[in-house]
Amino acid sequence: MTEKQYQFGGLSLDPVRGGTSILVAGPSHVGTKELAYRMLVGDDDEGVIILTTNATAADITADCEAVGIEVSPDRMGIVDCLDSDDSGVPARVLTVSNAQDLTGIGMRYSKLYSDFHAEGVTAVRTGLFSISTVLSLTELQTVSRFVHTLVGRVSKVGGLGVFLVDPAMHDERELRTISQFCDGRIDVREGEAGPELRSQGFLGQSSSWTPFDPSVAAEDD
Amino acid sequence: MHILHVDPADGSRRDTTSALVDAGFDVTGCGSLDEARGALAAEDFAGLVTEYDLPDGTGLDLVDDARERQPDLVAVLFTDAGFDEVDTGALDGIVVEYVDKGMAGAREELVDLLSFSIDNRSQTAYPLPADEEGRLDAVEEYVDDVEALDTSLDRLTQLARALFDVEAATVGFLEAHQERFVACRGTDVGRIDREDTVCTYAILDEGPTVIPDTRDDPRFSDNDRLSAAEIRFYAGAPIRTNGGEAIGVFCLFDTEPGSLDDRGRELLSLLADEVMDNLDVRRQLREATAGGDDD
Repeated sequence: MTEKQYQFGGLSLDPVRGGTSILVAGPSHVGTKELAYRMLVGDDDEGVIILTTNATAADITADCEAVGIEVSPDRMGIVDCLDSDDSGVPARVLTVSNAQDLTGIGMRYSKLYSDFHAEGVTAVRTGLFSISTVLSLTELQTVSRFVHTLVGRVSKVGGLGVFLVDPAMHDERELRTISQFCDGRIDVREGEAGPELRSQGFLGQSSSWTPFDPSVAAEDD
Repeated sequence: MHILHVDPADGSRRDTTSALVDAGFDVTGCGSLDEARGALAAEDFAGLVTEYDLPDGTGLDLVDDARERQPDLVAVLFTDAGFDEVDTGALDGIVVEYVDKGMAGAREELVDLLSFSIDNRSQTAYPLPADEEGRLDAVEEYVDDVEALDTSLDRLTQLARALFDVEAATVGFLEAHQERFVACRGTDVGRIDREDTVCTYAILDEGPTVIPDTRDDPRFSDNDRLSAAEIRFYAGAPIRTNGGEAIGVFCLFDTEPGSLDDRGRELLSLLADEVMDNLDVRRQLREATAGGDDD
């Protein structure tokens, strides 16, 4: 069986093998969130699960559509920690009452993944948006176990994990600990001509700063 | 590998136990929280599989208790309780895997997930080195008859304490779940769970790790063990094999915040290298003796 590769259309990132988890670290105002969303854009037969700690399911849906992810219940699941009104959201939405409930988040994630898998959607991109919220509410050691378990789950099923974090909100040692659970890390900064990304730690990626356009949807490239 | 399996329903427990045994696990089955606590007190387990609703509590209560004893324990909530019935907000800080007992192929998924999580140690609350399996093999290879090195390691920690003018110096080796201290000067410790030791993080770095004040470091500021021992300053140099595996750490501790300059880091690394050389000589001696016995 051919090993699944996850492509990142329109981004200067090489494909990664299934089971890879990546920390995406950067300030929110330079397109870090948009980059993380764009990394979830995949082929039509792939699924997407987003764990949202600080945005409603409706906001997540809008952000996904903005980067070219087709949101439908067949392919998209959301774990919403704001317990928001999800009526009209064209995705499978499971809610928990708050972002401190890591057990509840993990259980719902497992449920969404199992349901997709049972329906034949075996390649799933998972976004955790964002670790910063979780870290601001829960002690590092517990968040570490949560991230480790999630990375393990992504690895076991050959998925892709994209974990968003804003470095300005955290001590570098905290950030380094979280990144040590991931297979690689992408840093984002405001360059002279606009946003730039730099990848490190995973398969054959360059480590130099490379410009990217956060506003361009993958399907337009 | 030994699994603790807790399910109050006899039929369900029997079926799950059977699936686990067929997969090669040894299983201790229990029907209640109290019974499971007794089993945990009696021995260590590689994994815990529990229903949520138990006659005298919940499966999450049990995970909370179990991790007090075994912080690295892999835990899976295997339940047919709906999300509305599971009070996941009742306990802070519990992270478990979950398998819906009611789904098709649930027991196969449970076995698969449990095996993966145990093999990959994917529920620890601390990062693991890239090749943890190879590192543990190296620990086993080198830290075999370490008692024979007691005197020389003790001399080194004595020297270190005087050289760096610190409260304590130790040599510890990081096994799968605990750090085993084999030489201590100025303190007296045997084994400490890895999630509670600074050395767990020190082996992730190439060179020495220096924590000027543990209370200012978010990784350790909530660490009760360090607080109880009044450890503020920490410096540790990895003890590395020729293959690069960090099998242990040569550590300095103090009850006051401190620092270590470049020369100090260099000297600390030399002490760690000295320990490694001693271990290597012992290993070669063991191999030569074994070879001689074979002849």
